[in-house]
Amino acid sequence: MPDGATPVLDVHNLKTVFRTRGGEVHAVNSVSFDLRPGELLGVVGESGSGKSVTMMSLIGLLPSPPAEVREGTVSFDGQDLLQTDPETLRNIRGGDIGFIFQDPMTSLNPVFTVGFQIMEPLKEHLGLRKAAARKRAAELLELVGIPDATRRLKDYPHQFSGGMRQRVMIAIALACDPKVLIADEPTTALDVTIQAQILELVKELRQKLGMAIVWITHDLGVIAGIADRVLVMYGGQVVEHAPVKGLFGNPQHPYTRMLLETVPSVRGERASRLQVIQGQPPILGAAPEACPFRDRCPQRFERCDRENPLRREIGQRHDVACFWDFNAGAPLNA
Amino acid sequence: MLDAAPAKKLVEVDNLKMHFPIQGGILRRQIGAVKAVDGVTFDIFEGETLGLVGESGCGKSTCGRAILRLYELTDGVVKIDGSNIADASTEELRRLRPAMQMVFQDPQASLNPRMTVAAIVGEPLMEHSTMSKADRLARVYELMDAVGLNRDFANRYPHEFSGGQRQRIGIARALALNPKFIVCDEPIAALDVSIQAQVVNLLEDLQEKLGLTYLFISHDLSMVRHIADRVAVMYLGKIVELAPRDALYSGPLHPYTEALLSAVPEPDPSLEAKVERIILQGDVPSPANPPKGCNFSTRCPKVMDICHEIEPEFDEVQPWRFTACHLYKETTNQTASQKAASTEAHKSAQLGEPK
Ligand SMILES: Nc1ncnc2c1ncn2[C@@H]1O[C@H](COP(=O)(O)OP(=O)(O)OP(=O)(O)O)[C@@H](O)[C@H]1O
Ligand SMILES: Nc1ncnc2c1ncn2[C@@H]1O[C@H](COP(=O)(O)OP(=O)(O)OP(=O)(O)O)[C@@H](O)[C@H]1O
Ligand SMILES: [Mg+2]
Ligand SMILES: [Mg+2]
Repeated sequence: MPDGATPVLDVHNLKTVFRTRGGEVHAVNSVSFDLRPGELLGVVGESGSGKSVTMMSLIGLLPSPPAEVREGTVSFDGQDLLQTDPETLRNIRGGDIGFIFQDPMTSLNPVFTVGFQIMEPLKEHLGLRKAAARKRAAELLELVGIPDATRRLKDYPHQFSGGMRQRVMIAIALACDPKVLIADEPTTALDVTIQAQILELVKELRQKLGMAIVWITHDLGVIAGIADRVLVMYGGQVVEHAPVKGLFGNPQHPYTRMLLETVPSVRGERASRLQVIQGQPPILGAAPEACPFRDRCPQRFERCDRENPLRREIGQRHDVACFWDFNAGAPLNA
Repeated sequence: MLDAAPAKKLVEVDNLKMHFPIQGGILRRQIGAVKAVDGVTFDIFEGETLGLVGESGCGKSTCGRAILRLYELTDGVVKIDGSNIADASTEELRRLRPAMQMVFQDPQASLNPRMTVAAIVGEPLMEHSTMSKADRLARVYELMDAVGLNRDFANRYPHEFSGGQRQRIGIARALALNPKFIVCDEPIAALDVSIQAQVVNLLEDLQEKLGLTYLFISHDLSMVRHIADRVAVMYLGKIVELAPRDALYSGPLHPYTEALLSAVPEPDPSLEAKVERIILQGDVPSPANPPKGCNFSTRCPKVMDICHEIEPEFDEVQPWRFTACHLYKETTNQTASQKAASTEAHKSAQLGEPK
């Protein structure tokens, strides 16, 4: 991707807090990233680190209350999505911004057929008539590898397998050829062969339509295969951001390093016991005043308890939020 | 091997079929059937983990649910610890339920949104035990610790958790009654690698301590390689290969297994360069209308004429190794040299493949 290209999506300093009976949950804390046309940004990070909440925040999908987007700007197509009126935002969602949810059962409506749910956005955003929408819906289902697509349009979500429901979600998100696709763990329920087929499809859409993609996943193998750049999240923050080669070749945050070590492989040696990152994730009760990873960090020293590290540039499009300098094997000069 | 006592079969599945009717016409009469599971046979030994892998939609979840009698079976026998579940009465089932549990694929759909985590995890204890309230809460905390959920979250509702945290609530609930047999349906798909490892280690510890038996359904072949003792590979409603783990991963017999293993994305760049991918071509058939002969014949890179005609039997072709493929049948076998030649041809065809 040309470095100079203008981003289609530019997220700056996003903060999202939930107000619950038990107090506040600071789920997303000063997250920033950008996305250029045709680019694929991978997002990885611990379960509960704020990946889904970040993406839901920026397109206004979190119910408020309890969610509150406290700070930040989200520039898309010359406007700030956080300031956009709900009607316009609804039009953008499912139109110019496609979204694949992590949990297909919550976003597919159990009382409507799958066909109806794919045809809906085609009619609404593209103004297709019923017959044309049906034809396009069947094509989309076929595109995501569902056999017998025309017949299956009449089926309800519960009649599909877990992975098929996920592919229905992908079909809906792709229906209107969005400029930006946000995919939240879109292939967790897919086997490797169908996943490979979907990844191939995504590659094609990027080349042909210049679709830009945010791809959240736990699967580092997928990231290695498709991402241009990667965001690593921990405790509601971005802790490292790097081009995919830099992330795998030269990880600079202790969490990233541990994460890369925990991945089992089908091809290398089989470990007798899987590696885990010891300790508990932080409770996000307040905006952190120290590094959120410190309790689990082998590099921890006193500064980590006093201050929350900011992201600092360490290379071409590579930044890290950590006070430790792995190259020097010592703390940064404060 | 000679003096070792033969392991006990805890789960015996014989010719299990689960078909869903397809209705059509104005009268909504049955016009066909989705043969989601179409005659599968396997055993699981006590204390063993059997991995069940295969393409999305091939019938893994249906198989797992049918084994626990969450459906009325179309045909076949399922014995758990000697009792035939397939025709057990409601009363008998209720008695057997605590011993057999399931972790569901869709955590969202299986957790009551109006109950707190403590209530969800404690529910089976309420129903099947006589524990006091205090004991129950203590047990709930113990279970939350075990799956890596913070105790402080006990009074939260499911929607207040991330996807991975919700999956762990389901696991904690399944463990509550110390079951003997657990069907784990994609239990770790929504988790990050470290928590996956934590859950897998936990399942292994429990197995060692309590002698648990698992059917572990997953499309994550590296995790299955880690946790399973034996692995069954399903394709379109049938088991095409069943083998001990190491044998299967180092030398798959069925062409589908081979393709499946070759497709796994590789995070290690030094290994990635060496991976030879087999990309399957051809139509994916529907379980409502399976092809004639072998179900895999429409996509098999090694397909022969006979495969379009006759369905291969599921046979033990080597000790402990079962497969349903004509390549391994005496009567239809090509000579060894012919076979080797066709494998070579297949390999070079692969090299010519784009990407
Ligand atoms: N409605 C809510 N009320 C309170 N806390 C919430 C709510 N929704 C999410 N959270 C909390 O916000 C944090 C971030 O959740 P999020 O769903 O973004 O995690 P994630 O990184 O997507 O994790 P996963 O990989 O498990 O999907 C979690 O700690 C979660 O418990
Ligand atoms: N209640 C139902 N009614 C009709 N068809 C069904 C029903 N449940 C499942 N099926 C069909 O049976 C087949 C097998 O589904 P199943 O959920 O067992 O697949 P799976 O192997 O678990 O797939 P995945 O990996 O995607 O979860 C699919 O074609 C599915 O559409
Ligand atoms: Mg999430
Ligand atoms: Mg399933």
